[in-house]
Amino acid sequence: MRLIIRDDAAAVGQYIGDYICKRINDFKPTPDRPFVLGLPTGSSPIPTYKRLIKLVKEGKLSFKHVVTFNMDEYVGLPEDHPESYHTFMFREFFSHIDIPPNQVNILNGNAKDLISECNSYEAKIASYGGIELFLGGIGEDGHIAFNEPGSSLSSRTRIKTLAYDTILANARFFDNDISKVPRMALTVGVKTVLDSKEVIVVVTGQRKALALSKAIEEGVNHLWTLSALQMHPWALIVVDEDATAELHVKTVKYFKSIERVQDEVEAMHAQFRLYQSSTLPLVDGKGMPKNNVSEMEWDEWYEHLVDHHLA
Amino acid sequence: MASPNGLICFTNCLLPHEDGSLVEKDLWIDERRGVILDAQRTFFLRKERPAKIIDLGGNILSPGLMDIQINGAYGFDFSVFEGDEEAYRNGLKHVAEKIVETGVTSLVPTIITQEKSLYPTILNLLRPYHSEHSANLLGWHAEGPFIQLAKRGAHAPQFLQPATDGFESFESVYGPDNLAHKEDWLMACEGHGTEVGVRIITAAPEIDGVKAGVEEAVKRGVVFSIGHSIATTDIAAAAVLSGARLITHLFNAMPQLHHRDPSIIGLLGSSPHLSVPSSPSKTTFGPIPQLPTPPSLSKRLAALGTTGPKATSEAFDDLMTPPQTPILAAIDREITLKKGTTVPMQFERPFYELIVDGIHSHPNSVRLAYSAFPEGCILITDAMKILDPHLADGIHEWRDGKRFVKEGDKLYLEGTDTLAGSVVTLDKCVRNFSRFTGCSLGEAIKCATFNPAKCLGIENRKGTLRPGADADLVVLDRRGYPQSTWVKGKEVWARA
Repeated sequence: MRLIIRDDAAAVGQYIGDYICKRINDFKPTPDRPFVLGLPTGSSPIPTYKRLIKLVKEGKLSFKHVVTFNMDEYVGLPEDHPESYHTFMFREFFSHIDIPPNQVNILNGNAKDLISECNSYEAKIASYGGIELFLGGIGEDGHIAFNEPGSSLSSRTRIKTLAYDTILANARFFDNDISKVPRMALTVGVKTVLDSKEVIVVVTGQRKALALSKAIEEGVNHLWTLSALQMHPWALIVVDEDATAELHVKTVKYFKSIERVQDEVEAMHAQFRLYQSSTLPLVDGKGMPKNNVSEMEWDEWYEHLVDHHLA
Repeated sequence: MASPNGLICFTNCLLPHEDGSLVEKDLWIDERRGVILDAQRTFFLRKERPAKIIDLGGNILSPGLMDIQINGAYGFDFSVFEGDEEAYRNGLKHVAEKIVETGVTSLVPTIITQEKSLYPTILNLLRPYHSEHSANLLGWHAEGPFIQLAKRGAHAPQFLQPATDGFESFESVYGPDNLAHKEDWLMACEGHGTEVGVRIITAAPEIDGVKAGVEEAVKRGVVFSIGHSIATTDIAAAAVLSGARLITHLFNAMPQLHHRDPSIIGLLGSSPHLSVPSSPSKTTFGPIPQLPTPPSLSKRLAALGTTGPKATSEAFDDLMTPPQTPILAAIDREITLKKGTTVPMQFERPFYELIVDGIHSHPNSVRLAYSAFPEGCILITDAMKILDPHLADGIHEWRDGKRFVKEGDKLYLEGTDTLAGSVVTLDKCVRNFSRFTGCSLGEAIKCATFNPAKCLGIENRKGTLRPGADADLVVLDRRGYPQSTWVKGKEVWARA
């Protein structure tokens, strides 16, 4: 797992937005091979959405061949209710980008048969060959999607009863009246998230600091469902300074040092891919063109690159 | 250039909301059906998104402006019918096609008092109308003939009359067909069975029989507006209870605000706690005090002398000092303890029209009225046929050999200093209004869109950006100048 620390929420959004943009563009999605993206709601991802919208408007990114799956939706809340996740996603993201509506998937919390709604959601994800990248946020109690404390770490898409903490936290969106907050939601499971190829979680603000510490500094624990991410081979958590308040100094320092090394590794990796595809004009030690890449060993070439190009 | 799937998204724009705010948001319309869409519904349920996107560069996308009192424009006078129905229809069409350059997408042609026999024909010609390239003509606004001689303004005195037989008098003047129940009236409009249509009558409630007449007319879906009247506060309040929803060009053709009896203008300040004379209250303290009788109209009219008032300077020809303040029965109701809340009103205050050309009402008066009752404010032009933003200042022909002198927004009869009506455009009224009152452009827009639509009961279709409303739109720059105008989803005018 990697942890990226940025100064504030806006910088976090910019980092993740740029990252997702690069991932989609590198993937080169087509109608037959779309990029499958998992998406969250809530206040944390808004800066990320803002950044992605900007990239789309600047023509640097397109969602024409992106298929999205949202994490969750309230049960029994009308789809056009101002607090529904349909409304949120349309208002904050989908209305501003170029995604075709039939490539958007959000759980239907008003379905007659909620269980079959959940099962067919899982089936639909599977039909695309799984999710390429799942973006998530967390609650103050460390829940990812609506997988409240105590959720099975091998759970799938299903009906969940919201924890009292979550209902209280969401009451501010329902006239501060907890009786108006829906009690149930449909949500992807922890395992659904873990099954995706890559997971990125955004954690911003001091209120989330304890959850972050529980998720990465302690063991895997169903009371802090985000901690299941420790089992994921390609996970990235992006946080702002405020969210690190409960972390050990050692942890923060460690991840900051990783980020520096990571940058170097990534730069090297990029060159390695170039080497493999041999798109650079290569020269031998005497400065003469070398047409056959195989004549030059990787470490020799890399040394050369560092000397001549990366210096 | 049509959109491949018929849907258009306006983006990078500010939308005036019904609360007067300007919100950065996209608007989706269906250009084929000519309606505003519920974008979220279109996206999730119809699984469609607009194939055509129009970037408005940060401008304002407003509902089209609505002028509910306009006497004519571009050389055509709605009040002049010379027996040729075709010519009259062409005149209407001409105005409807030209007026869109002022941001107006809906108007209610207004006719001043006519010779009695002309009404049935003219009103029949003024049924709702709209073409591919024009603004909507919503119906008619009849000013007179049941108005007060003393406040007749430019109306011909010999045509004024009382409504002695109540509604029957109304029918005999306007024609029974034109006063049919709204549904029947709309159905009778050829090929326009489902169109929006409105009828407004401006009358003076103190005139004999008017109260009875309007009560029936209101039941049939006609909007009753108080105007050209010397009604006292009591009479005006009673008229509101009889169904009046509007005050015609506030401050003009009515007694000025006197603190003892604020007359029609005083309706804007109606106290939420005091009863009104004609709504006997059951929960009063002790006996209801005797209300002072308003001075008899004949007495007030007698004070005018035989020549009658000069129609030229209405603002200053007040009749006499009003009586003492009537003592109204206080109602035993709770006093609110919460700052910023008002107890429910005894009756709904009427909407009121303002001519915001800086000439017909002083800017301070405009602000005073708006401060008293912002929700009721409606901007109108009350423009004469000479209204035409391209018309140069100078002398222009009017009628009967008389000539106008146009000087900016001022219009007077040649050789006099008599104001001959207004030539201001509605978009300019909106800009003026923001300057006079200090309100935001969004709040000023509301007074020329949502408020008039609400007054006329058509706020689901016109004057709003609600889903399902007609896609009648005007793009204004951030200073309030029209850039393009759309009617029923089609661009009908764009600044060259």
